[in-house]
Amino acid sequence: MRISLNWLRKYIDIQISPNDLADRLTMIGFEVENIEHLGAKYDRFVVGEVFEVQKHPNADKLTVCKVGIGTEVLQIVCGAPNVKPFQKVAVGLTGARIPHNQHDPDAKPFFLSQAKIRGVDSYGMICSAFELGIGDDKNGILELAKNAKPGLPLADYLGINDTILEVGITPNRPDAMSHIGIAREIGALLEQKVNTPSTKVKESKKGIGKYASVRVEDKQNCPRYTARVILGVKIASSPEWLKESLNAIGIRPINNVVDITNYVLMECGHPLHAFDYDKLDGHTIVVRLARKNEFFTTLDHKNRELRDDILMVCDAAHPVAIAGIMGGENSEISESTVNVFLESAYFRPQSIRKSAKYFGLSTDASQRFERGADPSITPWAVDRAARLIQDICGGEILRGKIDSYPKKISPRKITLRVGKTNEVLGIRLSAKRISSLLNKLNIEVLKSNSKGISNKSLTFRIPTFRPDIEREIDLIEEVARLHGYNNIETKNFATIQFSEGVPKEDITDIIRKELTGFGMREVVANSMQQKSVASLASDKIVEIANPISKDMSSLRTSLIPGMLSIIRHNIYHGTKNLRLFEIGRVYFHAPGSVDAKMVEGYTEDEHLLLTFTGVAQPLAWDQKPRFVDVFDVKGELQSLFDKISLDKIKYIPYPNTKALTENGLIIEINGEYVGSLGSVRREILDRFEVEQDVFIAELRLDVLSKHVKTIRRDFRALPKYPAVRRDLAVVLDSRVPVGGLEEKIWQSGQPLLTDLELFDIYIGDQIPSGKKSCAFALEFLSEDHTLAQEEVDDVIQNIIDQTSRSFGAEIRK
Amino acid sequence: MTEKIQELRRLASMEIAAVQDLEDLDNFRIKFLARKGFIAELFDELRSIPSEDRPSSGKALNELRLFVQTLFDQRKRQLGSGSTKRKEMLDLTLPGRARWVGSQHPLTQTLDEIKRIFFRMGFSIATGPEIEDDYHNFEALNFPPDHPARDMQDTFFISEKILLRTHTSPVQIRVMENQQPPVRVIIPGRVYRNETISSRSYCLFHQVEGLYVDKGVSFSELKGTLVTFARQFYGSDLKYRFRPSYFPFTEPSAEMDITCFLCKGRGCRVCKMTGWLEILGCGMVDPNVYKFVGYDPEQYTGYAFGMGIERITMLRYGIDDIRILFENDVRFLRQFS
Ligand SMILES: [Zn+2]
Repeated sequence: MRISLNWLRKYIDIQISPNDLADRLTMIGFEVENIEHLGAKYDRFVVGEVFEVQKHPNADKLTVCKVGIGTEVLQIVCGAPNVKPFQKVAVGLTGARIPHNQHDPDAKPFFLSQAKIRGVDSYGMICSAFELGIGDDKNGILELAKNAKPGLPLADYLGINDTILEVGITPNRPDAMSHIGIAREIGALLEQKVNTPSTKVKESKKGIGKYASVRVEDKQNCPRYTARVILGVKIASSPEWLKESLNAIGIRPINNVVDITNYVLMECGHPLHAFDYDKLDGHTIVVRLARKNEFFTTLDHKNRELRDDILMVCDAAHPVAIAGIMGGENSEISESTVNVFLESAYFRPQSIRKSAKYFGLSTDASQRFERGADPSITPWAVDRAARLIQDICGGEILRGKIDSYPKKISPRKITLRVGKTNEVLGIRLSAKRISSLLNKLNIEVLKSNSKGISNKSLTFRIPTFRPDIEREIDLIEEVARLHGYNNIETKNFATIQFSEGVPKEDITDIIRKELTGFGMREVVANSMQQKSVASLASDKIVEIANPISKDMSSLRTSLIPGMLSIIRHNIYHGTKNLRLFEIGRVYFHAPGSVDAKMVEGYTEDEHLLLTFTGVAQPLAWDQKPRFVDVFDVKGELQSLFDKISLDKIKYIPYPNTKALTENGLIIEINGEYVGSLGSVRREILDRFEVEQDVFIAELRLDVLSKHVKTIRRDFRALPKYPAVRRDLAVVLDSRVPVGGLEEKIWQSGQPLLTDLELFDIYIGDQIPSGKKSCAFALEFLSEDHTLAQEEVDDVIQNIIDQTSRSFGAEIRK
Repeated sequence: MTEKIQELRRLASMEIAAVQDLEDLDNFRIKFLARKGFIAELFDELRSIPSEDRPSSGKALNELRLFVQTLFDQRKRQLGSGSTKRKEMLDLTLPGRARWVGSQHPLTQTLDEIKRIFFRMGFSIATGPEIEDDYHNFEALNFPPDHPARDMQDTFFISEKILLRTHTSPVQIRVMENQQPPVRVIIPGRVYRNETISSRSYCLFHQVEGLYVDKGVSFSELKGTLVTFARQFYGSDLKYRFRPSYFPFTEPSAEMDITCFLCKGRGCRVCKMTGWLEILGCGMVDPNVYKFVGYDPEQYTGYAFGMGIERITMLRYGIDDIRILFENDVRFLRQFS
């Protein structure tokens, strides 16, 4: 909210600087986000005196003026018809920011520079009211008072010396959404008195009872309705001081009566509404819920359909305002208004909130009512406005006011335990100190109950303008706030306490570090995407009801599409060789699924995606580049599994294509599906405009981490006896997968075979066609003796027999 | 036997030096390593020597074979890469053979560092779902239905009562629902806000939340914990301040500022000329929250805090546009290797 310092000074004497004030407000919870010196916008503007006006040599409509600005005389080219010698004018100097450009359709601001206009140098600009942003006149320059002193800063001449604090007011503090509200806080801060203006009104002899009546049908949603009637006002534009006050805080002046209601709102925080008395049918106000199929046109000219739980202010026949939010066209104050009906009501916050949400309207009034206005202030506010109307617009205030307030809302009483307060905050304050702190906020102590020093408690009366203080803890906060958060001791682990054991390092952290070590780069992608993209991998999509755009209407079901967009972006920007990974969640709508850790009907899985595209190795001057293929993925994956001590891994080829990939393997650990690897299908790549092949592995991290038994390993003694290494080449049908052969060799070599490595596959002239030769390096080891040659021969013979039986393999000589 | 082994070792060393090409190498292999080679012959002889000598000779023989095999392998590699020919014209100014360099995303780097500090203070990790219900995201955190505080966070809805969590705080509720005090956890995770995407705000970001509930936990300790964290993360000479704020689920609530490390507190564009940077929100857990999870507010007190990883990362590296964090341009990622 914009708070004007000049305005504040009407209620409280402020001797400290704006910066100081801003700091101190911030430290009691009213964060000052910006300080604006209004005069600053006229930094490079001064009062000038025109000495001489001559015709421009090259343009009929232009003149060349000599303008004195106190210390020097400037030559300025001017286009205005009304410029004359000895006028006092507003001069923008070079570097000035002209608020409005007259020649721009949007009247955008621009910076003034020294210019040559039709061949004549110009060192400034004589401005119109429009250009200065202080009026609508574009037809000529603004003429200043004869006695204006040349060289005087324009801001000083115009009397613009106000400072505006942009104050962030948290939603629990509706009482501070006004100048008096902020003045109250400053009063507590500086221990100074706040003076509120007098509301004494001169009433006429005519009693209001004969002129108007109010009937509140919905007393629950409208606990209080106060009103006055003023007859015979003259609607006009407001006096300068009022317009300036409103302009300073960003409210556009409209007419005197409306401006006064806005002024009182910004003064005391209570929203008022002025109706044209003569347009109220029956001169009656009825507060009731809207009827089904009722329509209403608000001040902003929108015709709105009402719902039957919306609270309306009506006359004898029709709605005339949406209660607490906005008035209607049918009863608004206009130039022809003579008599005014002034409403000052208190509406129930929940009711106003409901209406504001239904209409999608947030107004100065609704914001205050829905956070909680002050039910006690309605008579004060209506009197204050009536008095200002009488002072400014004339007219007579009818005797008395209507005040429908069947059930008085009394101030709350809250008891605060001194011991609890000190315990929660970690400080030691006395009961006396606590009372005096709260007293600064008009929170008065009612009684002090002493049951021994440690059980002392105090009962306070909470003013009705503080709806946020409902419980002991709320009072404790006020104590902390006024005591000063920074005066609370910073206790460095007074009660140090270790949780059970060392916190386990997350498996994802380990994987992240390993993959980084493998030369892969981590990405973090958006989890929201187009529905058509999300549906590529699954039809169990989670859709967002109110997305930012269609491009982000669904949650991802696979990490692959997001990664392809990243690959496309990088290729487009010149990086073609990419090794990327992401650890992130995918989301599924799974009606009926129940998982205690999730919301019913939805599942979220943590996935790991590895991606490779481009060349397999960094380019080197003596090597031919090789493009990555599926075996690079399998290899990196195997290295990762080794690193995190995972075994019992099975790769099972999947025959056809999967949703996004093809030519790949399903990966199982201990018989459980953990993910797959393969190449991304060409159609999918085309969709993401990626021309080169992309290879991926996508794994479920929850399954993976389940099988990582322990990160701690036990030391195994190094072998005492030497290992024997042998090569073995077998020839077999080229269609037999190597995986099965490997497994058979492994089994039949037990228990002495300790390592097996495929080092060559040969197909060619030296063996029969349709056959392939697979060469393995084998390692044999015994834990209790040195292996003899014959022992190894026996094992090898067994391997040959077994592979021959199973695959028809022969040993290659 | 021992002499024969010595002799073969010498012979192999000499002959391998003479190997000039792959053909020579194959001859070498046949001569020494093949089935009918010298070494195999010696193994055959092993049978005829006295049995008490066999183990030591066998061992020596195995070592010989390993030695010869190694000579063979080394030579094979040299020949394979053609290095003999280059020996005469070795140009050491040629670049070395590079390996790929990896990097962790700056966001997870920041998170790692934060986690490490809190681990040392005895916090453990908790996580929860991103698709949340209204109850955990708002109601149990003391945002009553139709409460204006809900406007502080623009929410993405899946259905009327299901939404994308707007903060990591619902995990506080889930932890307390399943565990009795003492509770001491940090909660990292992704959160969503329905805000227009710009250089300063993205539709999602990451938070780390902390929660500590036990007997006798005070605001004073909250300050202590966070100051300890900030000193470790931002440097020990840091100046800080706590100022009152408002969150529905904490009371009293506070925001913690530290001196702007870009301008050293003199005021700059990043700190909006205030000299201070807001780094986290915190407060004492509101007693209403305990009622929702069944803790006795008379018995237990606690604190909670939360910070935005993106904000911290951006301040730290001087990144002025949040969107670049989610673009994953390698030219950006490379800077965090
Ligand atoms: Zn700064």
